[in-house]
Amino acid sequence: MTDFDELLATLAERQVAFILVGGAAAIAHGSARLTQDLDIVYQRNPTNVGRLVEALAPHKPYLRGAPPGLPFVWTSATLARGLNFTLTTSLGDIDLLGEIPGGGAYEDLLPGAIQLKVFQTHCLCLSLPQLIRAKRAAGRPKDLEALAELEAIEEEGS
Amino acid sequence: MHDAPQPEPDPVVEAYKKDIDRTLIRENLKLTVEERFRKAMALARFAKELQRAGRAARSQRP
Repeated sequence: MTDFDELLATLAERQVAFILVGGAAAIAHGSARLTQDLDIVYQRNPTNVGRLVEALAPHKPYLRGAPPGLPFVWTSATLARGLNFTLTTSLGDIDLLGEIPGGGAYEDLLPGAIQLKVFQTHCLCLSLPQLIRAKRAAGRPKDLEALAELEAIEEEGS
Repeated sequence: MHDAPQPEPDPVVEAYKKDIDRTLIRENLKLTVEERFRKAMALARFAKELQRAGRAARSQRP
């Protein structure tokens, strides 16, 4: 099970610049759907990538679903070589996304993001309209179902 | 500045929407964000325990 509180505290402690997206962002807006992982869009500059590496290093990040024993090393160079990483850690599963369909990268999402105070930390989260746009763009069957709920949340809140 | 026009409703999404339990959404909207996360984590723990119990029961079947 993913410890949302521990993961968010870990990232905040190292001042990692990130925006909460996906199922966890949906929970923040009132979704009743269960999610197994924490999805974040992270800022891809060397300073922030370094902070992210330091933050997660003690929690043994490894590629989720990959066979054990792969030569996966958790370094800034590894993160710089890729964009999106689906990881398992000792605190649970986390997806690190360089960008998302329908939203783009951290800098693109930042102006519309909202600030949350949760578990004694502050973090940024996609606004409900941003989350709806991202789900609409993703377009997988599970996203359409989630999109229906997000639109219902928007209707209930308006 | 004008807002972007709302896209036409997607019939597939509208079909899914009919099955959404809005009572759960209304209850969640009464909670703080932190309470929503705590509730989700408690549900995930419960789901994991149910999965474990199910596996145990299946393994004991003759």
